[in-house]
Amino acid sequence: MSGTFVTLVAAEIERPSIDWHAIAPELILLGGGALVTVIDLIWLERVRKLIPTLTSLVFLVALIPVITLWADGSGLPRGLWIIDENVPATGVWEGAFVVDNYSLVLKGLFLLSAYVIVLLSTNYMSEGDYYDSEYYQLIAASVLGMLVMSSSRDLISIFVALELVSIPAYLMAAWRKRDLKSNEAGLKYMLMGVFASAILLYGMSLLYGIAGSTLLSDIAAAIDIGESRPVITLGIVFTIIGFGFKVSAVPFHTWAPDTYEGAPTPLTAFLAVASKAAGFVALINVVIVALPTQANVVEPFIWVLAAITMTVGNLIALRQTNLVRMLAYSGVAQAGYMLAPLAVYDGISDRATSAVVTYLVIYAAMNLGAFAVVIIAARKTRSAELSSYGGMFNYAPGLTLAMTIFLFSLAGIPPVGGWWAKFEVFRVLTEGNRTSGIALAVIAAVNSVIAAFYYLNIAKQMWFLPSPDGDNSRIAIPPALLAAVGLTVAATIVSGVLPGVVSDMTDFVNVAAGQ
Amino acid sequence: MGVQQNVAQIPVDLGSAQPRAVAFAPVSDFLREYIVVGLFGALAFGLVAAFIGLASIFRPDRPTADKVENYESGVDPVGSGWSQSQIRYYIFALLFVMFDVEAVFIFPWAARLEDLGVFGLVEMVIFIFILALGLAYAWRKGVLRWV
Amino acid sequence: MFLNQFLFLSAVLFCIGVYGVLTRKNGVLVLMSIELILNAVNINMVAFGAFNADLGGQVFALFIIAVAAAEVGVGLAIVLLIYRNRRSIDITEADLMKG
Repeated sequence: MSGTFVTLVAAEIERPSIDWHAIAPELILLGGGALVTVIDLIWLERVRKLIPTLTSLVFLVALIPVITLWADGSGLPRGLWIIDENVPATGVWEGAFVVDNYSLVLKGLFLLSAYVIVLLSTNYMSEGDYYDSEYYQLIAASVLGMLVMSSSRDLISIFVALELVSIPAYLMAAWRKRDLKSNEAGLKYMLMGVFASAILLYGMSLLYGIAGSTLLSDIAAAIDIGESRPVITLGIVFTIIGFGFKVSAVPFHTWAPDTYEGAPTPLTAFLAVASKAAGFVALINVVIVALPTQANVVEPFIWVLAAITMTVGNLIALRQTNLVRMLAYSGVAQAGYMLAPLAVYDGISDRATSAVVTYLVIYAAMNLGAFAVVIIAARKTRSAELSSYGGMFNYAPGLTLAMTIFLFSLAGIPPVGGWWAKFEVFRVLTEGNRTSGIALAVIAAVNSVIAAFYYLNIAKQMWFLPSPDGDNSRIAIPPALLAAVGLTVAATIVSGVLPGVVSDMTDFVNVAAGQ
Repeated sequence: MGVQQNVAQIPVDLGSAQPRAVAFAPVSDFLREYIVVGLFGALAFGLVAAFIGLASIFRPDRPTADKVENYESGVDPVGSGWSQSQIRYYIFALLFVMFDVEAVFIFPWAARLEDLGVFGLVEMVIFIFILALGLAYAWRKGVLRWV
Repeated sequence: MFLNQFLFLSAVLFCIGVYGVLTRKNGVLVLMSIELILNAVNINMVAFGAFNADLGGQVFALFIIAVAAAEVGVGLAIVLLIYRNRRSIDITEADLMKG
């Protein structure tokens, strides 16, 4: 879509050669999403059962060019346009869309998470009285926004991608039309999200005004003046506040617990993993590419955000009695750990980026898994209260074991995934022996201990306490949910036992800027 | 159109000896074009005022209660002027706003239609197809049906 | 160029919008206040674009207008949903979940 504009504003209109391979994942998702919509429109009810399968197929097909681009790594980074002697660069718009290793890892992460989300949603949606074909189309739209986001190196495309991620999510949060809690979840998410975008845009407008260009690399060059000026600081602070809402950093987290509790649970998993990751990707793109010279402004601000996010998130999570709410607050706290490397990115931006991305990948696996177990358990208990998980070991030992793996991983206990994610964060924080980094590492360590307490409390409930109503009948697990749990368990264990698998992917040189 | 072209052709170079250029010198080109708009506005107001004023001199003036009532398509006006519109209009208003706003992306293409050629046409067909998909969705799912 | 006047106008609009979002209880009025902020941003974008002789600002403003329409469309739909279920669009009454 943005391609139309690229050619319009260029002074000399040349027909650009598009690098179809580079943009194939987005095109497949766009075409596939449109196809699913058309199929739904033609046959309506008759294909209702097919829509989830079709959507997940679209995600898997879109994964193919991501893998081939990765295998063809020599050509990276590549942009949207093929530039050679015959086709001159088309001016200031060059480089708004960049495909590099960093964006490919994230595209893979988004597509796989989306696949798991569809697996989680299938039974939930078809058993409730919901509009379900639209739900999958909206998920596809949201994931398209995420893919574009990971390649965006321009304020306009970052903004459009962020809204493409968020707007379908507002609708899906309010999906249970007659449920007041779901309405409320949608309302709170929408109001906070729209307000956050507005603040973010004001910050972006200031950054654009200083640089005279929307391209992140131009902004980086324009604000490299060796000092900080109030208007630059204002622009940066507003921009980071805007992203702070999206990644639910304290004190901008207030929507998260209510939205997570009220929204349909598969959608909660989507918000907690994919949508949050998209917010982080936007934050990384802006901070690492556009603001490398403004560390003296960005670092203290993110430091404070990270410290209070992990502390407040964990302290409130301690006294939750509803498991979904507890996971929401634990997600807030985890966002604090993910912010931490960005508080010390000066000079080591590539290491900081790869620590955040490592955390995002592992967090996606373990958190999706935890939500999968919550969804399966709710099929029997019809409740997400902590007490309803009592005695689960007696009637669902496999599920209990899987949940224990996810909880250990979330708490950061070796050998399952989470410890490697935390280890990477600590390594970046202590690198360079900076006081601020080490202080943040201490805060993170204390928080990990607090977090372990409530994670293990859930495990205790499942293993040792009796079930509240003495009902020990087994849970029938539908195949889609079983596959989701299997995938996430495998990913969590592999990333912990063989951390090299993850670090091979996330050890990229740097986030490539457009030129 | 003809008037505007004449205005635009007035030289703005202060050093030039042409008397008209000096007379307009303190006003920028941009504002000068608005003088035309202002003149048209004044003319319109003047004409209407003149006609109504003339008519009020000649016409007889004998008001009755029925005559001074507001005229609304022959229906007797009842109740207060404020009333809620039907909520069912909302969906049409919303659809209108969406398509109306998306048209903003079509104008730049239309302005450079020939330069962009087939490439621009294909891009725009894709864009309009996606928009049309939205309309087709609304139609097929019965949103456009009057309830 | 009169850049400062535009920036001042936009800053005032921004502040009015933020004040409206924080104090209004009516869901529709909150959306209208957000619209004010977005228009403040648009003024900024166009003014900076003209000041820097760069088209990017105007293009950005067009995208903001289009996306804002989508946001408000979805927002109104959700407010309407609340109204159908609760017969009120007072957002302070939406407090089923706390803590």
